[in-house]
Parts: sequence; C-alpha cells; structure tokens
Amino acid sequence: MEIREAVSKHRARGLILAGVAVFFGLWCVLSYASLVPDVILPSPTEVLQAFPRLHFEEALVRSAGWSLYRVTMGFVLAAVVAIPLGLLMGTFPPVKLFCAPVLDPLRFLPISALVPLTIVWFGIEEKQKIVFLFMGTVVYLLPLVVEAVENVDDVFLQTATTLGATRSQIVGQVLIPGSLPAIGEALRVMNGIGWTYVILAEVINAPYGLGALINVAGKRSHVDQIFALVLVILLIGVVTDQIIRFVNQRLFFWKS
Amino acid sequence: MARQLTPFGRLLLVVCGLGLIGYGLYKYGVLDRLARVVAPDRKQEGTVSKDDFGPVGTGSTAPAASKAAIGGGSRLARPIKVAIVTWGGYAGGIVANNGFAPTKDSLFFKDQGIQVELLVIDDFAKSRDAFRAGGDKGGVDIMWSTVDAYALEYGGLRKLNPKAIIQYDWSRGGDAIAVTSSIKAVADLKGKSLACAEATPSHYFALYVLTQGGLTNRDVDWKFTDSAVEAANLFKAGKVEAAVSWSPDVYIAARERAGAHILASTKEASNLIADIFVARGDFLEEHPEDARRFVAGWLKGVDLANANPDKTAALLAKSFSGIGLEDAKGMLQDVKLPTYAENRAFFDPQASLASYQTIFKSAQGIWRRIGKIKDVFEPYQALDTRFLEGAAEFFADAAPAKPEFEFKAPPKPAAAAILTKTVSVYFPTGSATLDENAKAVLDTQVVDLAATFGSAYLRVAGNTDNVGSRDANVRLSRARADAVTQFLVSKGFDRNKFEVVGHGPDKPLATNDSDEGRAKNRRTDFEVIPR
Repeated sequence: MEIREAVSKHRARGLILAGVAVFFGLWCVLSYASLVPDVILPSPTEVLQAFPRLHFEEALVRSAGWSLYRVTMGFVLAAVVAIPLGLLMGTFPPVKLFCAPVLDPLRFLPISALVPLTIVWFGIEEKQKIVFLFMGTVVYLLPLVVEAVENVDDVFLQTATTLGATRSQIVGQVLIPGSLPAIGEALRVMNGIGWTYVILAEVINAPYGLGALINVAGKRSHVDQIFALVLVILLIGVVTDQIIRFVNQRLFFWKS
Repeated sequence: MARQLTPFGRLLLVVCGLGLIGYGLYKYGVLDRLARVVAPDRKQEGTVSKDDFGPVGTGSTAPAASKAAIGGGSRLARPIKVAIVTWGGYAGGIVANNGFAPTKDSLFFKDQGIQVELLVIDDFAKSRDAFRAGGDKGGVDIMWSTVDAYALEYGGLRKLNPKAIIQYDWSRGGDAIAVTSSIKAVADLKGKSLACAEATPSHYFALYVLTQGGLTNRDVDWKFTDSAVEAANLFKAGKVEAAVSWSPDVYIAARERAGAHILASTKEASNLIADIFVARGDFLEEHPEDARRFVAGWLKGVDLANANPDKTAALLAKSFSGIGLEDAKGMLQDVKLPTYAENRAFFDPQASLASYQTIFKSAQGIWRRIGKIKDVFEPYQALDTRFLEGAAEFFADAAPAKPEFEFKAPPKPAAAAILTKTVSVYFPTGSATLDENAKAVLDTQVVDLAATFGSAYLRVAGNTDNVGSRDANVRLSRARADAVTQFLVSKGFDRNKFEVVGHGPDKPLATNDSDEGRAKNRRTDFEVIPR
C-alpha cells in the first residue's frame, strides 16, 4: 500500500465487499459458534426472523417513514438556518466575533438535556421532535459552513478584487460558489447526526418511529429486534448518504 | 404543424401522467391495498375492560422437578450482584448488607457467609442489559422486577431461564395517578390525555384502575413516555391532564401543578404491584446455596427493617445518593416489606387472591390483549420457590402471615369514591338471595377487586328500577347489598371493610322507560373509598 495511492474503481468495489464480508463473517462466527451468548449478540438468522413481526405487527415501514420525516425536517431546518448564517459569519469577521461567544459553546451542549426543555417549549407533538433534531444538527453544521467559507482561497478573492469586482460580486461569484462544494459535503456528513439522536427524539409520545421501536424493544429484552432496527437505520443512512453524494456531484460539478 | 417538445414540457407531461395514474390508483383503493402490504399498520390493540382482571384459576401447580431440594453447584467466590433502583422497597436488603457495597460487617456475611453488592441502575433497559451480561461478566446475577412487568418481559428473557425467587415489597403508594382539578373520579378520565411509561408497572396500574372504574384502554388518549419520571414531568409542565408515575416524582408533580391532586395510588390498590427479585438461571444452577442464603439474609433484614424504621430510614438516606432523611422516611411509607411468612403465602400456588400466580396470569392476559406479547407461559415456569422453602430453618419461630389491614370502624358515610365498579348481580324478583350464578359473578368481578384494593373500604350499593313502590325497592336493594356483603365476608374479608347502602330506584343509570334501561338500573355498585 502506498500513501494516498489511487485506487481503481474495480479494486475499490472489491475492498468494500471484502470489508463487509469480514465483518459479517466475524458476526457469524461469534454468534453461531456461541462464543458470545445470543442474549448479547443474536445470530444473523435471529435478526432476520425478527423482521416479519416488526413488519406485520409493529408497523416497521411506517415507523421508518416517520423517523425519516423527522430527521429530514430537522436537517432541512438546520440547513436553512446554518447556511445563510454561516455565509455571513464566514464572510464578515465582525459578525463571527459577535456570534461566536454564544454559538461556539453550544457544541458542548449535552443534547439529551434538551429533551425536557423542548417539551416545555414545544409540547409533545411533532414540533418538539423536529425542533430537537434541528438543535442537535445545527450546532455542528454551523461551524462547518463557516469553515467552508473561510477556506475559500485568498488568491480567488485577490484576483476578483484586482479585476475590479464589487463587494456583492465577490460574495455572489467567488465566496458562495467557492464554498458551496464544501458546504454540500458538510450537509452530507451532518445528515447522519440526526439519526444518532432519533432515539432521544422519540422517547415521548411517538406512536410511530424507529427510535421509539428501539426503546420498546429494549424494555422487553428483544435484542434481535434492536439489531434489526439498527440495521434499518444503517440502511437508510447509507442510501441517503449516496443520494446526497450524487446530488452534490451534479450540483457542484466545478469542484473536481 | 408538428412541434418539438422542450425538455421541460416533456417533464411536465410525465408528472401530469404520473399524477393521473396515482389519483386513479388512490380512487380505486389500490394504493390502500398496496400500503397494507408494503407498510402495514401496527396490529390493532384489543380492548381491555373490567372483565379482563380477576381470578384466573389456580389450577397449575409447579411440576415435581422444581420441588427437588437444593443441591450441587459450588459456592460463589465473589459478591452476589443485584440490580436495584432508587426505591424504599430494598430496605430489607440494604439493612442486611449494611449499605450497597459488599462488606464483612453485614448480616449477609455474619449470618449467612455471603457478600452482596447492590447496584443502583435506575434506567430500566440498562438494568436488563446488566442482567443479560451476567454477574461474571460485569453485569448482575439478580435484578428487580414487578410481577406485572415480569409477565411482560419473561418471553424476551427466557433464554436466560430467569426465575423469580423472592418478593421484597408491595408498592403502597409508590405508584399513583396525578390528575387536574376537574377529574374527581376514574370515570372522569374518559377522553383525557394520560401520560405514562409504556409497558411498565405504571401502565399496568393505569389499566387496572381505568377498567375497574368502568372505562377501557380505548377511553383515554395515551401519551407514552420512555420513563415514569418523564410522565410526571409532562404533567408538571401542563402538557397532559393526567399522568401515572411513581414516588416521589408523581407527588412532586401533583404538588407543583396548580389545582392538581392524586386520584388513586397503590395505597388503595394495595395488592397490585408486587416487587420481586429475578435471578439468572445459570446463577441459580451453579450457586444454589448462595441463592438460598441470599433469600434468608434478605428476609432477616426485612424483619430488622420493619422493627427499626428510623434506623432503616437513616441507612437508606446514607446509601442512596440525593435522598435526605425525610425523603427516606417517605420512601419507606410507600412500601410494605413482606416477611418470610408473607412471602411463602404470596408464592403459594394454591393462593387465590392477589398472589404471584394470579397477578402474573392477569398481567400476561392484559399484555397479550393489547398486543405487547405473543407467547404465554405458566407462572410456575418463571418461578423457583426452592430457595424460599430452603430458608425455612432460619425462620422456625416466625409467626404465620396475618391479615394485614384492620378495619376498626366502617367508612364515613359521605366519603367520596375514587372509582365505582358497576356489576349486574341477578336476583329473582322480590328476593335477596344469591343463587350460584350470582355468586360466580361476584367471584369473578368483585372478590379480586376487594383483595386488590386491600387497604380501602368498599361501599356496596344496591340499585333497582322503578317498578313497584319506592320504599319496598329501597328496602329490597339494601337487603340485596347486604347479601352481597355477607358473601364477600365469607370469602375472608373483614366485615368493617364494607358499607351497605340501598338506593332503591333513586340513582338510575339509564331510562326506566325501556326494558333495556330498567335492566341497566338493576345493579350493584362497588365504590372504592380510600381510608
């Protein structure tokens, strides 16, 4: 292996498959050979067998739909707030200095402490869940957007200034296009954050939701169902990640 | 003239086409059918009503195998690890262990030669994770449960072959329903929002109280939370009209919300929520002698705790973090610590009232009906009484279990009832004699109610329709209520627990103008009155 060597598409595919196979093989060996008791690590067969019950009796697909809706809404809200604010902060240092003392520490916020607060402020219906996911996402997204704007090379700014560009032209034609690919990448990474909070978001009054299903399965000691539900979340995560990746490539073609 | 479509035009056409097809599919129900296959809704909950609680038969006795004496196995070389929560019911064990940490300065070590470590794991699911891991792998050997919750989770834990081994307390006020000022009795909860942690003792308590008060599980708007504390917080924040939670959170919430009060608690429903310890099957098999000594030591601790409440409260306050002396005293008042004899009576397979067997079976039926579990098990499968029986030598001079509640005087006539269970007890015209049918109805509908609300008074109120003279009807309804009461007393209840009232035709539930209405009005009401 060379440092930062280029990997061909063919080989890349092989490596990915091999990684999955090794992981899956390890799971099979540990569970089927009973090296780990099945109440701790259920076997792949048990996890598969958990699906029919989840599907036909626990409304798995509807729950996935609701969770996807909540995570996506929280994510879109976070993007709507973080992108303009981040562009402002990245472009004008005084704005950043003004906002930083309040916004920077928010990243250290233990997000679980927000559950009771969001309930008091926003009730126990969908609004509370979405706002909670929005808060969890926006505190990480904002610094990334600011960084993306700041990382636009000074050379482009100087060139534009030299060519006589106005202030709005520099922002609109240099800073924004220059930072958009990085912002797109930030959005892709942050899309996953919402899913890590979905269990917390659905602790209260969520008739449907993957997080709520995991909570209940945990209470009834159905480890197989927990694994099955985690697999569903992983699957949704991978698929949405690929979609955003594809959209980013199409939208921000000038990056490469 | 032929014109080339622009890409946008083509897109527009495709979208319109898809929209039309989609509308057609929707209109003719194809989408609905498709949704039922691709995304079926949750299985419909069954309805739980008053008929679902009650005696479930005590026919099944443990097979001979579990009667075998304790033997084999080895002695444990480390402390027994026990998962508990912040709750007064552990007083017996905390006294026996002189705190939470394993120590040689404890009754457990000095009397029984074992060491015990009590681990506070307040999160329900995490305590189950610890139980699955097991005491040898950083988890626990024994965990807390309640009989109703155990009936729910037993299926999921079955691979560990868990066994209930001891009852350490009855919740006596520990679980309660806080309500807003407009809700005076259980029937007022109809249509109200009720917060509660799903599939927990709170949930079971709520179902019991609702159904006995004439409602079903479908009559309230459930707002499920992950933990009891969250349910109390929702109520405190004014987001729901009622909440089921436990002590002290539920009492704090009822105090802090303006106009709120406690509607009912396990102070009245005294024999409903039974806390038990459940041990891993492998632990019991490998170290049966340690398990026997654990049970014996714990119950010796119960005797000490019951004899010295002040010292016990001080030890509780010292042990639990964030609990002061006053809190600890309150926590002890919210529980009843059953003695050795009471434990034996509770697990007796022949016991018919408010015992391990009856609660397990009732609870299992309820959970199954609302779709929380699928498979059912016999109560004895989840139980092992050998350790309790084997500890008899340490309690040779213990007094047998006595009736716990004394009713020195009948209830005050004007006392308000928290719930009224309406039962149709059939009498022949003009007669106040109970026939076999009527006795069977009382057996299934009322005996369990009277036993579960062990500490509360029961007002037995006879009602008639308006056929005949009022005076004769009042007399007759009173005589009938009296017959019902005599029957209940013959089942072993204190006569002073009951107040007999005859309303005659004065309190009709329905119109007396139709046969149906008159039939509804001929009834006996059982009003639960807190002491």
